[in-house]
Amino acid sequence: MVREKAENFKANDGPIQKWSYVVVLCIIFLLFAFPLLKPPAYFLSLLFTVFMYIALTESWNIMGGYAGYISLGHVTFFSIGAYTTAVFMNRLGVSPFATAIPGGFVAAMVAALVGIFLLKIRGAYFVISTFLLAVVTHLVFMNWNFVGSSSGLWFKLLPVSIEVNRIIFYEVMLLLAILITLVARWVEKSKFGVGLVAIREDEDVAQSVGIHAPKLKLLAFILSAFLAGIVGGIYGYYMSYIHPDTTFDINISLLILLMAFFGGCRTWIGPLLGATILSSANQVFVTFIGAEISRIFYGLLLMVVIIFMPDGMIEHIKNSRVVKKWVAE
Amino acid sequence: MLEGEKVNKRFGGLSAVSDFDFSIEQGQITGLIGPNGSGKSTLFNLIAGFYTADSGRIRFNGKDITKFKAYQIAKLGIARTFQIVRPFQELNVLENVAVAAMYGTENMPTISKGKEMALEILKFVGLEAKKNTPIHDLVAVEVKRLELARALAVKPKLLLLDEAFSGLSDTEVKEAIELIYRIRDDLGITVFLIEHVMKAVMGTCEKIMVMHYGVKLTEGKPEEVANHPGVIKAYLGKTHA
Repeated sequence: MVREKAENFKANDGPIQKWSYVVVLCIIFLLFAFPLLKPPAYFLSLLFTVFMYIALTESWNIMGGYAGYISLGHVTFFSIGAYTTAVFMNRLGVSPFATAIPGGFVAAMVAALVGIFLLKIRGAYFVISTFLLAVVTHLVFMNWNFVGSSSGLWFKLLPVSIEVNRIIFYEVMLLLAILITLVARWVEKSKFGVGLVAIREDEDVAQSVGIHAPKLKLLAFILSAFLAGIVGGIYGYYMSYIHPDTTFDINISLLILLMAFFGGCRTWIGPLLGATILSSANQVFVTFIGAEISRIFYGLLLMVVIIFMPDGMIEHIKNSRVVKKWVAE
Repeated sequence: MLEGEKVNKRFGGLSAVSDFDFSIEQGQITGLIGPNGSGKSTLFNLIAGFYTADSGRIRFNGKDITKFKAYQIAKLGIARTFQIVRPFQELNVLENVAVAAMYGTENMPTISKGKEMALEILKFVGLEAKKNTPIHDLVAVEVKRLELARALAVKPKLLLLDEAFSGLSDTEVKEAIELIYRIRDDLGITVFLIEHVMKAVMGTCEKIMVMHYGVKLTEGKPEEVANHPGVIKAYLGKTHA
């Protein structure tokens, strides 16, 4: 059986040269090998955060970018993943690396339950409803004794040195970011992704050509939450202590959204670019300029992109003359 | 093929469609005319599953579809166009049609298969040269054509056309009528259309239903309908009739 080559749905994607795959593979290899250079632990945690935001933004984009349902509730699924993992570890003694996936399943189940109701709402009302979801789940976890309520939960540390600990989490999160990016890429090039795009464009018309919009939206929401839940599980273990105020922080949702819009949320490359640039810029600013002034830089960067590249950086780059010339050669 | 029995739809106190009976014969081109606000589009929305009838029954090939949702009805083989064109703005011509090919009755499993089928349909409606054009670069008649192509990509048995001729010039209307005949004769699709352009309806339809204030005024062959006193009254008002 001849395997059909996956085709891009959007026609304006330029031709992809073979060497670009080689470059990407080299970068991935170098990233995996980076800890061998024994860099300061600080760099590893910086990159860990970058990878985490890539993973979160790519997972968010399946719903927010492709289907156009802007959710501020992503932090809820992320935190549910973290808490599920913590509970499994503390009560049953299972390793978090094994329970991150069940953490994803619990997040997916919650997404399925709330999705049935939330996904009937469209546009700005959906955004507000998901914001409320994040606020309400935060309050629930603040007051729920089973999950430590306002005193949070501790993870048992890995029985290894702090350096090795950092390296393990670095590698795991890198792998997760790559896998989730591949999932997002697969969705974009699949029939499923095309259906989501049609829903984003016009949900009524989409239904008139036979797209089962409620089912597709729910599947996308569940997939998105599942992936975020896994990331949350690893994050919780990495932090070794989780508290509702940090894991349910609505700022995480906002950052994800900004990163996706910054990079461009129509393709899988956009969130990758947006998350990489914004999360590294944020950390670099904070470290080298100071937390107060870095906020100003961060805000300026966002404003520049929103004003000059309203469709995100990736669309801007694609349409720029320089790149067009370069691709044509 | 399609039958409606005492179909009712009310919006608040307004009865948009009341006790409407209709039947569409396979292979026939049926027209639905009536003044503005007479409930024509509401009836289409009821058939296509965008609204659900308050009472009454709609049957498609013997199957009760009264309570079916829009996507179920599309899957059964009823496709529609919209009165105000609604293309997927961010997709180009080919992509617009490919979406329907991938989710319609033929259910193309991959993007490349969907695009293959979409290209054939674009050839059929004469939009092949524009396949990679963004929507905002199309002129009005082309968008209408695209809307039709997208509905055809569902591979329906019955096609509902909501004012397919509105806003077109005389020659464009002529071409569109030819296209509708080809859809019926070459593709074997039954056509049910709403129309304001009287000439187009009289020229194309084998049967015409006239709707006024949600009720059926009359139905029959074009010439019978055109001379019906009630129809003249509804269109021109009492004093001129």
